[in-house]
Amino acid sequence: MNQKTTLIIGFLAVALVACKQEFLEVQPLVGSTEANFFQNADDAESATIACYNNLQQEVTNIQGSAQLAPHFRWYFGDICSDDSHKGGSGDGDEPELFLFENFSGNSSSKLVLAEWQVAYRGIAYCNLALDRIPGIEMDQQDKDRFLAEASFIRAYWYFNLVTMFGDVPLILSNLAPSEYQQGRTASSEVWAQIEADLTFARQNLPRRSELSISETGRATWGAASALLAKAHAFQEEWQPCNDICLDVMTSGEYFLDPDYANIFTESGENGPGSIWEIQYMNASGGNWGNQLEGTFTNVFQRARGQFGGYGFNIPEQNFVEEFENGDPRLSATVFQEGDQMGDRGVFSLEATGMPHLYYSKKFFINASDEAPFGDPNPNGYSNDRVIRYADVILFHAESAYHLGDEGLARNSVNIIRSRARGGNQALLASLGTDVTGPDLLDAIYHERRVELGMEGHRFFDLVRTGRAATELADWGFVAGIHEVFPIPEVERTLSGGLITQNNGY
Amino acid sequence: MKKLLIAINFVFAIMVTAFSQGKAVTGVVTAAEDGTALPGVTVVEKGTQNATFTDLDGNYSIQVTKEEATLLFSFIGYTPKNVSVAGKGTVNVSLEMDVAGLEEVIVVGYGNQKRSKISGAVGTIDTKEITSLPVLRTEQALQGRAAGVQVTQNSGQPGSTQSIRIRGTGSLNNAEPLYVIDGIPSAGIDYLNPSDIASISILKDAASAAIYGARGGNGVVLITTKTGSKNQKPQITYESYYGMQEPWKYMALLNAEEYGILMNESRSAAGLLPLESLANPSALGEGEDWQDEIFQRAPMMNHSFSFTSGTESSSTAVGGSYFVQDGIVGGEKGRFERYTFRINTRQDAGDKFRMGQNINFTHLDRSALAENNEFNSVVGRALNMDPTTDARNPDGSYAYSTMIDSDIANPANQIALNNDFWTTNRFVGSVFGEYDILSNLKFRSTMSVDLSLGSHRVFSPSYDLGIGPNDPERPAYEWREVNGLMLGENKWSNWQWENTVTYDKELSNGDDVQVVAGYSALSNLSTSFYGFRDSLASNDLQYAYLNNSLNAQEQAPSASGGTTASAFVGQFVRLNYGLGDAWSLSGTVRRDGSSRFGVNNRYGIFPSLSAAWNMTELPWVAEKDWIDFLKFRASWGQNGNADGIGNFDYTSLVYNGLNYTFGSEQVQANGAGPVNTSNPDLKWETVEQTNVGIDADLYDGKLNIVADYFVKNTNDMLAVVPLPGVVGFLPSATNVASAKNSGVEFAVNHRNQVGEVSYSIGGNIAFIRNEVTDLGEGGQPVATGSVFGIGDLVAYTEIGQPIAYFYGYETAGIFQTDEEAAAYGTEIDGEFVRALPNAQAGDVIFVDQDGDGDVDSDDKVMIGNPHPDFTYGINMEASYKNFDFTLFLQGSQGNDLLNGAFRYDLNTTNLPIAALERWTGEGTSDLYPRISHSDPNQNNRISDRFVEDGSYMRIKNVQLGYTLPDNVMQRLKIGKCRVYVAANNLFTFTQYSGLDPEVGTRGTLEIGIDRGFYPSARTFIAGINVNF
Repeated sequence: MNQKTTLIIGFLAVALVACKQEFLEVQPLVGSTEANFFQNADDAESATIACYNNLQQEVTNIQGSAQLAPHFRWYFGDICSDDSHKGGSGDGDEPELFLFENFSGNSSSKLVLAEWQVAYRGIAYCNLALDRIPGIEMDQQDKDRFLAEASFIRAYWYFNLVTMFGDVPLILSNLAPSEYQQGRTASSEVWAQIEADLTFARQNLPRRSELSISETGRATWGAASALLAKAHAFQEEWQPCNDICLDVMTSGEYFLDPDYANIFTESGENGPGSIWEIQYMNASGGNWGNQLEGTFTNVFQRARGQFGGYGFNIPEQNFVEEFENGDPRLSATVFQEGDQMGDRGVFSLEATGMPHLYYSKKFFINASDEAPFGDPNPNGYSNDRVIRYADVILFHAESAYHLGDEGLARNSVNIIRSRARGGNQALLASLGTDVTGPDLLDAIYHERRVELGMEGHRFFDLVRTGRAATELADWGFVAGIHEVFPIPEVERTLSGGLITQNNGY
Repeated sequence: MKKLLIAINFVFAIMVTAFSQGKAVTGVVTAAEDGTALPGVTVVEKGTQNATFTDLDGNYSIQVTKEEATLLFSFIGYTPKNVSVAGKGTVNVSLEMDVAGLEEVIVVGYGNQKRSKISGAVGTIDTKEITSLPVLRTEQALQGRAAGVQVTQNSGQPGSTQSIRIRGTGSLNNAEPLYVIDGIPSAGIDYLNPSDIASISILKDAASAAIYGARGGNGVVLITTKTGSKNQKPQITYESYYGMQEPWKYMALLNAEEYGILMNESRSAAGLLPLESLANPSALGEGEDWQDEIFQRAPMMNHSFSFTSGTESSSTAVGGSYFVQDGIVGGEKGRFERYTFRINTRQDAGDKFRMGQNINFTHLDRSALAENNEFNSVVGRALNMDPTTDARNPDGSYAYSTMIDSDIANPANQIALNNDFWTTNRFVGSVFGEYDILSNLKFRSTMSVDLSLGSHRVFSPSYDLGIGPNDPERPAYEWREVNGLMLGENKWSNWQWENTVTYDKELSNGDDVQVVAGYSALSNLSTSFYGFRDSLASNDLQYAYLNNSLNAQEQAPSASGGTTASAFVGQFVRLNYGLGDAWSLSGTVRRDGSSRFGVNNRYGIFPSLSAAWNMTELPWVAEKDWIDFLKFRASWGQNGNADGIGNFDYTSLVYNGLNYTFGSEQVQANGAGPVNTSNPDLKWETVEQTNVGIDADLYDGKLNIVADYFVKNTNDMLAVVPLPGVVGFLPSATNVASAKNSGVEFAVNHRNQVGEVSYSIGGNIAFIRNEVTDLGEGGQPVATGSVFGIGDLVAYTEIGQPIAYFYGYETAGIFQTDEEAAAYGTEIDGEFVRALPNAQAGDVIFVDQDGDGDVDSDDKVMIGNPHPDFTYGINMEASYKNFDFTLFLQGSQGNDLLNGAFRYDLNTTNLPIAALERWTGEGTSDLYPRISHSDPNQNNRISDRFVEDGSYMRIKNVQLGYTLPDNVMQRLKIGKCRVYVAANNLFTFTQYSGLDPEVGTRGTLEIGIDRGFYPSARTFIAGINVNF
């Protein structure tokens, strides 16, 4: 080829290759990328709200599959205890829950896998917020508040994890691919982190009275304090528990609703005694596989047959018998034969088509209040009252007892009983000074059971107070094994074996 | 004396030389086989730019520059001939027809190659075969025509898509080939008028597709459209046909009496009393035939014209068409209409510069009915609807079923209320310029655009089949209180700029070299917008506009819209080297980059090599005079598959909608955050293919054989591998999986002439095996294919098995007695455990594969394979005097289908007639279980009971044509006129019980699942082709 040709080819070659490299840099215009999010205060707020979003997960897709697994708090807190048994359409309905109820559950269960995955997903969003919000230029007070909210929610998730599984991986920032495989951290360290997060949160969250009406449901000083008190109680650190409970009680922020039954109605949502309540609403169009703003608990705990529910969480006979004669709280907690179930009809065995004598009442909603559009079953409106003021008062009583101050303990119990009797002096006599020592402790435990019944507390209370082996022996509880649930086998495999299994599973 | 002679010679030489400066040579060019004149033959003085063409009578005249000039005569379809002038003034030439088509030029990527030289595996389809088969979609014309190319339709509804698999399914995400039309990669070829197509090449192996780099992994379908030729007298053709379609089969279902008997039996087996309405089954008679209600005969019609002409320096081809097809379900409501217009022009500007423009405009209108799902498709509903309900009430209004209280609603009503319209305007155009830098070095630059504007309008009128809200029996799906309108607009565009340099040289030692080097840039943009409002003032489609909504509260309107974009760049070079006539070697390298790939893997390199050995001149071949041509070829190459990757999958997008509710007013607050992890390593799927093949022409062109063996490995397939839960975010797809396709392809063609009858028979067959070889570390098998009626996922993809095979329980007959059912189990720890604790006499025996005393999901096994053992096509043509006859059949053997059309999850739907064979007592049936409303043994769980053999053979096209005799034509001053009658899908031979065995795919991982498939029609057609 002659020179002229070579020149031309050379020119072309250069021209072709030198074309813009930025041609391949195409930016997404819908939704931001992680790289260019977190620019301003609005982003910070959105990121914080994303932290709250996971709290509502009850029926979740197992990661990477279309399998849905319900993993309600009350599955573990109520059904695995002596308060209630599973229910459903029969033994074949939620078979894994049946196994756990009888303490023969295993690590292949979807229940524990879903619980694990959702908790860490919630923690991941909190870590992301805690990591990126400090770098945003915005009002310092708002920033601290968002960070406090993310800390509180992270502490809440770790609280759930450590009470369910014991030692768990402690992840405090988003993981790079080389870090995906993590091992477990001792529960004492996890508790320490929970306390640190909650302490920070207490310092920077507003009081409930400072919230505007449109902010109801956001984390508050009271919520962080109450959770911190519980954390101390679970570790049997009674002095700090007592101090914080007292803080909350003297803050003037919370009061007991004079009408116990009102707490669990629609008008009782976010009531005077509500310290930490997970919000749900019925008009978001959620569905199976995509739970938006509604709860499934309403339909799951409602009776079958004409009442259209799935019939889970059936109160046990011994739970009903725990209530003292005439205790008004029984009729607010349990439906018995002959009771009117709201606007859905009268409870009878024929109407439900099942042999159960009792049904849980605290999550019952009327048919007329159901979701205005879409499938009502994933769209219940009942909030999850995770921490009530009564819970704090009873912890005050319990911690006071352990610190030797029985008088204070009795006082607190009597506050609860006074509200419960609702003005009828004939009922629920106050504890007198004759109730002391182990009897007083029993009275405190009794009060917890009937005050907070069917709210997901019982199993964890039994475990933390060391009574599980005796009370749940009939169901197969073995000390040293069943205080915690099995780590999901899938997670152990994916961690490359770094995550060890709990004893006995 | 000697001196005088020298002087005279010298003078002569001067005279001759002087004379030959511009000496004219003339002559006639004829065809060797019949002596007719050949117009349009190119006559070139070799080594110069001096060229001319023969005229209509085959005459030419050329001024040669020297006496010893050689003239090259070439014409398409004929073997070129070099003739030395040797001082003559008249050179007449007779050209031999290129019977074996060895000189045929085949379109390969970025150029052409002679068939005799191609070293890759390229299948070609004769355009005559495309236009002879009246089809709507070009993909339908490809079905069965090329070995290894499997085309299945995804529905029989007019305007619906097809899926094409070239050499098996090579990806879990996107297995469709790349379509390149006139050099522009297109998303689909539904906008093409089949009559506009000049050639179709299918690049099957890695070497031929390598020049398309990261997008050629699933094979490439290259289509070129017709252009005119130079010096061509204007030619006008008009083609038209009219056809009537009808359903070719109804499924045998229960009639009302049989339905009544079975329902009563089913209820009593569950402890329920019979329904009053079914108390006397024999009085119910035949009942309603729902299939008859929805199926009808539907017409289709096509008009197409084309105009081509050419001058010495330009050519033009213009074409237009109108096509309309109604659906055999729904008639007008399933209608598809298409208008196309195309103009392709070429111009020469001087000797060295050429330009061309291709412009195509298509308008598509489609009215679509819901299909291919088991809850609201018209066909699905018609199969499941109970025969005791009439389609209409006595007063003429549509009736609802009191038996079925669910999503199986009246399909006739559904058709009447359907208002789902898709409109697309599509413009595809390109402009190119080509410049000859040197005589054998060309530079070409092409700019093209593919613009598609689509709109979608869905109007859902309000209606009530009951007597109003107080009708307690009215099922939820038979009324809609509030009407609603959804409008969507999307715009999709592709811009491409390509520059290539081509160098072509014949070396002095007889070798030849072609080099193509180029650069290509492609940018794609897509935007969409949707709006919805309800409560429109009128329930009439005519007034369905968003502004007519009465919903002042703005409670339910919604709008959404977004945009996405991607870009590709590629640089490539291909070298073809021909060693004499015997060897041709080819090597290609392409470097591709895409905005879709992660930052760590932006660019990839795709090499390939191939060689072909033309053994024809070898002594042991040449001595066998029955072998005309024998070529052996081999190739290896790597291509990529980038089309299954989303535009932004490599990054972690932050989504809104992670909401929470605050406040006593229960207001949702918007939360935002990433949902997936990011994957900066994301890249294309790599397809590595090795191919060996043989081409042979035997017996004077009477027999032609092509055989290929290939192994295709796809690595780096995208799959979502689970991450540890502690990561928190959901995993994104990573390139970890692998699959393998391997097989053999044969194509055989025989043609002959016996007396006045000339005929040809051809066939192709391909045996392809498919297997997943890796799913990544920790990669779980993927379960897909949810079927409502069976209540489970039926397809499974795992290592060592074909993609998306059918997975379920194996059955072993029916328990004939209760004792037999109770005795079915195993000894576990000394205790006898019943494997099927709820079974009784008449229930299905499910095999407990692992013997663990429990029939659960661990006992699921492979129950069917949707991939065929082999696919084939056979084509026969014959002509006798003015008659021509064509028969084309196509089939698939060994593929299984899953019949999921019936809703066993609802107890009261209709059933196939086979349900009458149910077990009613000991010894009555070993195949069909007892019928029961409660089904405690879950007899209707996913098992081999629902898998059927889907092998079929279809007589796709039978055609008889008559060309009017020449003398008649001359009187009418028409060039040629042919009339024909034809039938499509005349017969289908299959054992499949469903409506159509050609059930396609719904996504790459759901193959062969019948959910109430809209069947293809049998059509009778009459048509006419006229050339003016």
